[in-house]
Amino acid sequence: MTTEAVESIEDAVKNIIVAELRVERNQLGPTTHLMKDLGADSLDALNIALRLEEAFKIKIPDDAIPRFLTVGDIVKGVNEHMAAQ
Amino acid sequence: MRRVAVTGVGIIAATGVGREAFWSALTEGRSGISRIEVFDTSNLKTNIAGVCRDFRPEAFFDEREMSRLDRVSQMAIAATEMATREAGLTNGQLDSYDVGVILGTGFGGQASIEEFCGAFFSNGKGRRSAIAIPKSMYNASSSNIAIRFKSRGPNITVSTACSSGANAIGQAFHLIRYGHAERMIAGGADAPITPVVMEAWKEMRVLSTKNDPPERACKPFSANRDGFVLAEGAGIVVLEDLELALERGARVYAELLGYGSTADAAHITFPDPEGEAYAILRALKDAGVAAREIDYINAHGTATKLNDASETEAIKRVFGNRAYEIPINSIKSMLGHSMGAAGAIEFIATVLAIENKLIPPTINYEETDPQCDLDYVTEGARAAGGSTPLRTALSNSFGFGGNNAVLVVREYAE
Repeated sequence: MTTEAVESIEDAVKNIIVAELRVERNQLGPTTHLMKDLGADSLDALNIALRLEEAFKIKIPDDAIPRFLTVGDIVKGVNEHMAAQ
Repeated sequence: MRRVAVTGVGIIAATGVGREAFWSALTEGRSGISRIEVFDTSNLKTNIAGVCRDFRPEAFFDEREMSRLDRVSQMAIAATEMATREAGLTNGQLDSYDVGVILGTGFGGQASIEEFCGAFFSNGKGRRSAIAIPKSMYNASSSNIAIRFKSRGPNITVSTACSSGANAIGQAFHLIRYGHAERMIAGGADAPITPVVMEAWKEMRVLSTKNDPPERACKPFSANRDGFVLAEGAGIVVLEDLELALERGARVYAELLGYGSTADAAHITFPDPEGEAYAILRALKDAGVAAREIDYINAHGTATKLNDASETEAIKRVFGNRAYEIPINSIKSMLGHSMGAAGAIEFIATVLAIENKLIPPTINYEETDPQCDLDYVTEGARAAGGSTPLRTALSNSFGFGGNNAVLVVREYAE
């Protein structure tokens, strides 16, 4: 995958997080944690997973959701799921 | 047996937000009915409703909170905030296992489940949500109130259609009276002005189609009435053990004296005056009040042909000839019918009528109906005095399903 494509995934992931959690975009770094840093709860995590599934046409299995909690991990996870499908 | 005081009220209605705005509109006979603008009504025969235009959720919630709460919960919480503030209660005084919440709702978070259904039925188009269930479940409002105010006592949602709010207040009243709670947040909330609900009511042919002008559509007890006007809203009261309320120096609006609840056990929608009359009788008995002591009746008065005739008959069965001497009003003529909130909002109006010694009018009354021949206060607000001392009053609520609830309230006196 090209660097450009990774960047656009990161961009899209950030857009989803900003929209769902009503946070500022500049709060989001690679290690920013949805729950510890942004006050999200498990329901927010589920909504973000749903938006990611819709945006990237992927299926995120239940047991993967706990790994989708930092911006970096989410981008990495989306990439992996896209590659697998 | 403890006495129970009403120490705070919070209202969101089509006529205004907060006690003062609500009361001044009612006493001036101002309607809150307006054109529906939030969705397309071109397929409907009715394009008007009691929309709470003055309710600004952003005054109570940040964006994030709003996204997690259906409109019905937003209105219920906002009304609770007003009621508890008025009662002079801080969050610390609500944070207790002796403080509970009983809330009535007919539709719960209807808009949230409709939004999800939209996505579901359009094969993946539209917006799904992972939180459609916690937003739309019927107990979302009462649970969200508990979460916000940390009230850890009994938390129960009552759903008896149009009498939900009154049943909720009655049940909360009994919890305090019989020692199961010291203080209760009680009332009702509904936000059913949605495309699906409007369509479903349309097919039942019970909504008024007198769209022009909207303010004149709802005509309770008038021979030319043609149905109710759907509305949204929330009414919340703080009920307290009277002794504890007095100890903390709370202002006592009125004393809740009695509650009667019955089922028609007859027909799912057709009202039965027998069941309604028994609800009134049981409320009087519960209150220890004689029928002759009732100075005013806040009617259910939906403006459907069936309700208004049946309610009039029920009142005559209980009060006999005295029925003709009791002023009766329907504030639904101004507010529309806010379903599960209506009984609570009308109870609050009854409390305010006693407090202000003033009965708001039934507006839009135009033609006498031989089946509805009582005194419906159709000539503007009426001040108490003479034959209308306005100390003790009834608030009637009769729901689809044949669920009847009646509350008796009295001016507070030692």
